Amino acid sequence: MSDPFSTLGVGEDADDDQIKQRYLSLVRLFPPDREPQRFQAYRAAYEALSDQRKRLETKVLGTRDAALGPIKSHLLAPSKPVCARASKTTVTALLIDGIDRSCGQDGTA
Amino acid sequence: MCSLAAKASEAMRLGDFKAAIELLKRLVKQDPQPRWRDMLADAYAGRARSLAAKGMFDEAETALNKTAAADGTVREPLLYVQCLAKRGQLGKAFQHAVKYIGTDKVPAESAARMAELTAALWLVAPVRVDAQADPNSELGQWAQSAAAAQQGLAAWVEGKPEHEIEPLLSRIPMRSAFRPLRLILKSLITAPTDPARARQLLDGIGRQSPFACWRDAVAATLPDEAQEPPTNAASPSRAQCLFAAEVKGLSASGSQLLAEFVKAERSGAAALMSFLISHAAALPATEAKSACFNLLPRAPDRLRQFESSFGNLAEFDRARILALAAEAANNWERAEEQWCVAAKATERSADPDSRLMAGVIYRHVAWLAETHPEIAGGDTSLSIDYLECSLRADPDHLPAVLKLIGLYRSEGQDKDWHRLAEDAAQRFPQQSAILLQAVDSAIARKAYKKAVGFARRILAIDPINQAVRQRMIELQISHARKQARSKRADLAWKELANAAEWERPDDPSGRLCVNQGLVAWELGNAADAEARLRRGVELVGGGVVGWFFASVEHARMKGGAASGAVLREELVRAQKTVAPAKQEILSAALAISGREIIEARKEIAPLVFRIRGWLLQGASLAWSAAEIHPVCEMLQLAGAYDLLADYARLALLRTPDDASWKLYRAMARVKGDAERLSVREEDELMDLVEDAEARKDFHAANRVQRFLDSVPDFPKGAASRSARRGSSANGIGSVDDIEERFIAQLLAMTLEETPPEMVERLVAKLGRERAISAVLERLRRTPVGELFPVENIRRVAEEMVNTVCGQTSKSVA
Repeated sequence: MSDPFSTLGVGEDADDDQIKQRYLSLVRLFPPDREPQRFQAYRAAYEALSDQRKRLETKVLGTRDAALGPIKSHLLAPSKPVCARASKTTVTALLIDGIDRSCGQDGTA
Repeated sequence: MCSLAAKASEAMRLGDFKAAIELLKRLVKQDPQPRWRDMLADAYAGRARSLAAKGMFDEAETALNKTAAADGTVREPLLYVQCLAKRGQLGKAFQHAVKYIGTDKVPAESAARMAELTAALWLVAPVRVDAQADPNSELGQWAQSAAAAQQGLAAWVEGKPEHEIEPLLSRIPMRSAFRPLRLILKSLITAPTDPARARQLLDGIGRQSPFACWRDAVAATLPDEAQEPPTNAASPSRAQCLFAAEVKGLSASGSQLLAEFVKAERSGAAALMSFLISHAAALPATEAKSACFNLLPRAPDRLRQFESSFGNLAEFDRARILALAAEAANNWERAEEQWCVAAKATERSADPDSRLMAGVIYRHVAWLAETHPEIAGGDTSLSIDYLECSLRADPDHLPAVLKLIGLYRSEGQDKDWHRLAEDAAQRFPQQSAILLQAVDSAIARKAYKKAVGFARRILAIDPINQAVRQRMIELQISHARKQARSKRADLAWKELANAAEWERPDDPSGRLCVNQGLVAWELGNAADAEARLRRGVELVGGGVVGWFFASVEHARMKGGAASGAVLREELVRAQKTVAPAKQEILSAALAISGREIIEARKEIAPLVFRIRGWLLQGASLAWSAAEIHPVCEMLQLAGAYDLLADYARLALLRTPDDASWKLYRAMARVKGDAERLSVREEDELMDLVEDAEARKDFHAANRVQRFLDSVPDFPKGAASRSARRGSSANGIGSVDDIEERFIAQLLAMTLEETPPEMVERLVAKLGRERAISAVLERLRRTPVGELFPVENIRRVAEEMVNTVCGQTSKSVA
């Protein structure tokens, strides 16, 4: 499972109440009937953080790949408002990535 | 031919498409009917699916080519297009995909994905679709949408203002396959003024869509990302980073840094750490340190570099990183060692969470020791030690307590088990799982009053807990049985009355009722006894099963002759009434399963002989291997190896290759004594183990192996085998022993019912010859008469009369 702290978007020092509030707000934003996959991910993350022992297990026995997130955000910090355009080449590359990923889902091609 | 078709169908059902293809190819050669060709195409499609699932797209494409119809369409169009796309043949993929526009050849469940994939493929490499297409046809409409999508995209890329892009987007129908493009472009032009709306638009694109990658890239550029946590924050693709850099208008140096970051990330943890450390000045310090710290378990050789840049690590952190790195390298012994260092460092810490953290670590190491034999060589005591440490650090962790109790029990550490169960019952007074363990522990150390106390506490928490009710009823019945065996029927009755208190009114216990009937008989209350007995028999299934069950209970409590006679008669009568069915035989087998029964098998084994005729009829039923194991175990327990041989022989006629039956055939031949197996039989059984293991049927493999393991020096070879063959079976393993003892018992009972005084009166009244006939008739109505040929019974009758007449005969031995 991916890092439950970053899945829920909470800090490692968040307490039971903060985690629960965050989880409930996410479930309200992405209800299970509309976003079942996303809901499952949030649910699993919440289960993993729902009490102090589980949070300690997650912290001690796991690693946080998502710790790179803030670095990425820093590198992507805009120097001007978001209104510039991407090149056709970049859009094509994104589409090719997307085609490739979509062809490798569901255990089939 | 039918056989080939059946085998092919079976192979298809089992997902063995390779075998199905071979069979169907032969079938088509013999009989080129369209239905076999269809089936062959299905098999190729199935094979393609399994190959694609393994990432073998070339091979999957080849398999699908075999399903091509005259018009070039294939069985699994989406999969075919996906295979081409995965191989990088995007143009060919589009050319194939476009054939299906406006047709119904794509299954409904994959039509939407196929449409979006076709649209994405076209946007990547636009080609002229079909100049002749009727603009009102589906293909014509698709071409119009495609043109509008292309114009919209070009307008956005060229930096045209919103009011120029909007009309182009509105020409892309929302129900067309280009809808995701419309949503993305709309989101991009909305983002500067209304980011929430922009995000909402992106939510309309599915995660499986080929546009999802682009969608994520757009989402990453939107402000207020906190609304949705960046789940894929750590792994943006190069294209996503470039898109973000272009859209956000990063400076040249910023773009360069981003490109280096992406490159380093793809090169692995060590390269990424080097990047982060070398660019630390350009990055936020805390975040850079945190990122490097989290990369250390994947690059432990960079520990020194990390410490020289960010300062020394605490002992706990260092040990934890090394332990995680060791786990990643499957070096379990080192992982154990480092986790122990980490746990000890935690215990010394003043952190309020330190004890909980030590508990977490010790539980983890206990799990490692249990699951990785490299650590403890399969010895459970190390897991037990670590769990004990974990409970010392964190005594309130319920799953660890239950786990440790389970390990103590399985390892025979009874003293520790009882101590922990007792402590846990005080620590977790409201946990029925713990209280149930306390009941078991109290029963095991014969602290019955305590057991009752714990059981009552469970029922106070959980009034419908059937497990504890059942356990208490069994406990009281077991007491009653002991009292009855010591001829203290009054006390036995009292115990059974106590047992009845644990019964739920809507769920009476058949076993309890049967035992009440048997004890009532001993107390001389025959009418009540018989009524209870009959009710109990009905509750446990009635018929042969019920009376057999009652006979087993009677034998276990060493019941009196009067009740024994009734049970015998009823058992004989029940056998005559109904032919056996599989369910009944299975129920009879289950009636004598369990550890307590095995302990009383000497008493119970003869009962199986009483229903041998009935069981013999059941041998011809079509048993499956799964169904038959309890029955065969019953026959084995009773030493009824002749019956076991019959069951195995008839089953092998039906399924000659079944491993279970071969085992039971061998077991029957050697009368359960594996030392008497021939070399050929041993080899055959070893083959069965290997076959079972190869098809991952570990139950079957273990069953055969257990039997082979009962030979002390197996599989050391033939040298000791001849010596083994000389030894005989112990205990009740031998059918001859059983039969002798059984016949002696039956004769004794028969003679009790036909005492010498009666024979003497008959002789005086009728004369010797007619007295013999009268005794013979009498004996034929007894269980002996049911079992043995009339000649043998006549010889017994003659001996009885001769004894009374003062003559001795040597004829009856």
